[in-house]
Amino acid sequence: MKAMTEVNSVGSARKSFDPIFERGLKFVAILVMSLLILIIFFLYQLAAPAIHEYGWGFMFKSDWNPAKLIFGAYPFIHGTLITSLFALALSVPVSIGTALFLTEIASRQVAAVIGFLVELLAAIPSVVYGLWGLTVLAPRVRVTVQPWLSEHLSFIPGFSGMPYGVGVFSASIVLAIMITPTITSIAREVFRAVPHAQREAALAIGATHSEMIWLSVVRVSWSGVFGAVVLGLGRALGETMAVTMLIGNRNEVANSLFSPAQTMASLIANEYPEATNPLHIGALAYIGLILFGISFIVQGLARRIVNRVANPSGGGA
Amino acid sequence: MKPIVEAKNLNAYFENFHAVKNVSLAVPEKSLVALIGPSGCGKSTFLRCLNRMHEEIPKARVEGEVLLGGSSIYDRKLDPVAVRRSIGMVFQKPNPFPGMSIFENVVVGLKLTGSRDRMDQVAEEALKGAALWEEVKDKLKKPGTSLSGGQQQRLCIARALAMKPPVLLMDEPTSALDPISTAKVEELMISLKKSVTLIVVTHNMQQAARVSDRTAFFLMGELVEYDESSTLFTVPKDAKTEQYITGRFG
Ligand SMILES: Nc1ncnc2c1ncn2[C@@H]1O[C@H](COP(=O)(O)OP(=O)(O)O)[C@@H](O)[C@H]1O
Ligand SMILES: [Mg+2]
Repeated sequence: MKAMTEVNSVGSARKSFDPIFERGLKFVAILVMSLLILIIFFLYQLAAPAIHEYGWGFMFKSDWNPAKLIFGAYPFIHGTLITSLFALALSVPVSIGTALFLTEIASRQVAAVIGFLVELLAAIPSVVYGLWGLTVLAPRVRVTVQPWLSEHLSFIPGFSGMPYGVGVFSASIVLAIMITPTITSIAREVFRAVPHAQREAALAIGATHSEMIWLSVVRVSWSGVFGAVVLGLGRALGETMAVTMLIGNRNEVANSLFSPAQTMASLIANEYPEATNPLHIGALAYIGLILFGISFIVQGLARRIVNRVANPSGGGA
Repeated sequence: MKPIVEAKNLNAYFENFHAVKNVSLAVPEKSLVALIGPSGCGKSTFLRCLNRMHEEIPKARVEGEVLLGGSSIYDRKLDPVAVRRSIGMVFQKPNPFPGMSIFENVVVGLKLTGSRDRMDQVAEEALKGAALWEEVKDKLKKPGTSLSGGQQQRLCIARALAMKPPVLLMDEPTSALDPISTAKVEELMISLKKSVTLIVVTHNMQQAARVSDRTAFFLMGELVEYDESSTLFTVPKDAKTEQYITGRFG
C-alpha cells in the first residue's frame, strides 16, 4: 500500500513537470520566430526612407553616389550574382567530384581523412580566407593568372581588363573554396542515400565501376545534388568578410571578370559605419532586405529539395 | 550430364572471417540447383563467389576455383565485369533502376555492352522469358518501379535474361514476395531451366523440393550434403541434413 502511494506521488510529480517543460519549449520556439520577425521589421523601418523614395525601381538603378544622395542597387545585385555564380561554376565540379570520390572510390579510412579535411575548410574563419586571398591569391592573379587568361581568352567578353588583383575573379575563387565543404558534404549525403541494392543491380549486369556510379548513383541524384548546389549558392550570396576584402569595392557594374566590384553584403559592410544621412542608411538597409529576401528564397528552395531527397516517403513535406 | 558450373575447393572470407569453407560442387547444365541451409550459413556468399560479386565487398576475398564451361572465372586475365555479363544475378529484394522505364530496365545491360541493334526484339524475348510480357507490353514506357513487387522481380529476371546468360544466380528471389507472386516466380524457374542453368538460394525447403533437380545443404560455411533433391529430401545421408529438413534446427 505504502509502495503504491509512493509510486503514484512520483508519477504525479513527474507528470506535473510535463506542462512546464512543454511550455518552456514553446516559449523558446516563439522567441526564435519573434526574433526573425523583429529583425525584418527593424530592417524595414531603417529602409523605409529609401523604399518610399525609390520603390521597386531601386533594384534596377545603376547610380550610387552617397555625396549626391543618389542610390540604386543594381551594381551590387549584379556583383553579388556574378561572384556567386562564378564561384559555383568553379566549386560545383570539384565538390561533386570529391563527394563521388569519397562515397564510391575511397576506402573508408581515406574517406574519413579527406572528408574531415574538407569539413575543416568550413571551420576556417572568413577573415582568414580574406587575408589569404589578399596576400597570396590576389598578387598571383594580378601578375600571372590574369595576364595569361587575357592573352589566351580575351576573345571571350569578360576576360579582359586592367589587372588589379582584387576583383570579381579573386573574390569568386575564395568564395568557391568556402562553399566547397557545404556542397561536398550534402552531395555526399545524397550519394550515400543510394541503396546498396542499386549498386549491386548495376554490377550484376556487368557494369564497370564508372558505369555503376553513373547508373546507380549519379542518375538518381540530380535533384539532391541540385539542392546541395543551391545551398552552396545560399552561402555564397551572403558571405561578407572575405568578399569585402577581395572584391575591390568599386560601386559600379563589373564589366569584366577581373573588375573590382561590390556585392550587397560588402557594400553594407563598407558604407554602413560611415553612413549618417537617413536616405543613405535607408538605401543600405533596403539592400539588406533585398539580400535577405534572395537568401531566404534560395535557402528555402534548397532545404525543400534536400529534405525531399533525404526522406522521399516523407509525404512531400 | 556435363557440369556447366563447377566450384573446386572454394573458400570465401570477409577479412578474417571464413564464411565458405572448402566447398566443391558441380552444377549440371540446364538444371536447377537449390542451395539451402540455416540463415548465416554462407549460401549467399557462396553464390556471390560464382559471379565474382563477393570481391566487391571491401576486404573480402576468395580462394579456390570456379569453372564456367570448363574455364576458370578467376583467371587473372579475366575481367570480373565480363564474368558478370555471362552469369546473371537476381537478388532478394527486387531492384529495378529507379527513373528508368520498364523497357530501359530490360535493355540497360545491352546498352552497356554496346549491342544496341534489335533491342526491341531482345527486350520482348527477355520479358516473355520472364513471363512478364503480357502484363507490361502496353506500358513499356512506364517506370519499372511502378510495377508490383512480384512484377518487379520478374522485371529483374528479364533484365538478367536480356544478356542471354548461360547461368542465372538467384538469391532468395521470392522471400520478399507474396504467395501468389512466389508461385509465379517458381513456375518461371521451372520453365527457365529448359534454356538456362539456375542456381537458387532459398530459405524455403518446400520451394527447393518443388523446383530443384539437385539440392545442396550448407551448414556453418560447409557443404554438408549435395544430391538429387528427390534423394536429399527423402533419404538424406547425413544426420545433420536430416535434422534440418525435419525442422529440428535452423
Ligand atoms: N559483408 C559482410 N561482412 C562480414 N561478414 C559477413 C558479411 N556478409 C555476410 N557475412 C557473414 O558471413 C556469413 C555468411 O553469410 P551469408 O552468406 O549472407 O549467409 P546466408 O545467405 O546463408 O544467410 C554470416 O555469418 C554473415 O554474418
Ligand atoms: Mg543470404
